Amino acid sequence: MTAVLGRLWRPAVSRRPETARDLLGQADRLRRAGRFGEAAQLVVRGLSLDPASITGHLLAAYLHVARRTVEPAKQEFRWVLERDPSHPRALLGLARIALEEGDLEGGREALVRALRAYPDFPEAQALLDGLATRQPTPPPARPRLDRLRLPASARALLALGGDGAVIAARPEAAAGGGRRIARAARLAAAALKRAGLGALRRAIVEDAEEAHFLRADATLTLAVALPRTTHVTQGLLEINRLWAAAQHELAVARDAVAGATASASARRVS
Amino acid sequence: MSRLRLGLEMDGSSRGRQVHDIVKSVAHLSAVRGALLVSPDGFVIAAEVPPTIALEPLAALAATLGRDLEVGASKLGGGAFQTALFSADDGTLYLAASRIGFVVALAEPQANFQAIRAALEEAVTLIDSGWAPAPAGSAT
Repeated sequence: MTAVLGRLWRPAVSRRPETARDLLGQADRLRRAGRFGEAAQLVVRGLSLDPASITGHLLAAYLHVARRTVEPAKQEFRWVLERDPSHPRALLGLARIALEEGDLEGGREALVRALRAYPDFPEAQALLDGLATRQPTPPPARPRLDRLRLPASARALLALGGDGAVIAARPEAAAGGGRRIARAARLAAAALKRAGLGALRRAIVEDAEEAHFLRADATLTLAVALPRTTHVTQGLLEINRLWAAAQHELAVARDAVAGATASASARRVS
Repeated sequence: MSRLRLGLEMDGSSRGRQVHDIVKSVAHLSAVRGALLVSPDGFVIAAEVPPTIALEPLAALAATLGRDLEVGASKLGGGAFQTALFSADDGTLYLAASRIGFVVALAEPQANFQAIRAALEEAVTLIDSGWAPAPAGSAT
């Protein structure tokens, strides 16, 4: 009779003690649904049961990244790599943080390490493709775009060559933003390519204060920072006007170089 | 798109369904090929994209680009990054920052820019209202 009652009253849900593995598995499911706060609580509980869990520390790193808390995320990724130096996800995580921080070489190195250990790693390959840079243009071929003027309403104007190097900055102090614009343009170009949309031609990036209008081709990237209140049509007209002016100046510079080369050849022949 | 609901009214699974509905509603806009919501660590939370597109590499690039724009905006002192579009000959990639990640839309060249931008802003409002800030405690 007791056995029968026991079967009748057996709770519907098993009461076995929770394990770190269960908690972390559940945390991962919540993370995949974007429920980061709930996932974080389970990761804390999971790691209290198994402080050496690589899965737990990796999840903790992901959740820190999701909350945009970079330093703790870095520490967690490094913790994982100290125990498993070729852990692909930890390497990818550290690479992404390095890129965020402008450390291109660090990012590239981590991605190459991940791909060396796991050649079939599409995310790492995509990011590495997004970092590809062209060879720098030799200085004599780099025009200065001296006549390019900063529009009255603009805060800054930048022109980058095909290799991403700054060829003009208005004001001069804006040149410091060149690397970031070049990197964003490369990442955007890689994302457009992956989406099957073609090469980057134009961009508009809006933050709370400014709207950045960009135009690009294989040889030139032009970006202007305008007030956020600028109408999109007005911003596009402005960047198109600047683009035409820059292209004209580039054509003049190319003609001057071609003319000088032809004169030198003629002198050698005579 | 469903009406805005406060996060407090919803349990976790409702929010999960809601986020998929939001992505679906963006993906089904006129001249939009697909949409996804990707967390800042590059993980795809919800997606509705053509099978010809490799999702994970695109998500990794979109999340890295989104974070780069967020960090760049804060470094330049311009305020928080909100939306971006990147256009090419065969279409445009839209990106908008939300509390839990980046909403991405892939559109045809003839897509209505203002309509998509408005839809993305509404999507971000819906997501942010459903996701209250996480507790202050650390993940570890």
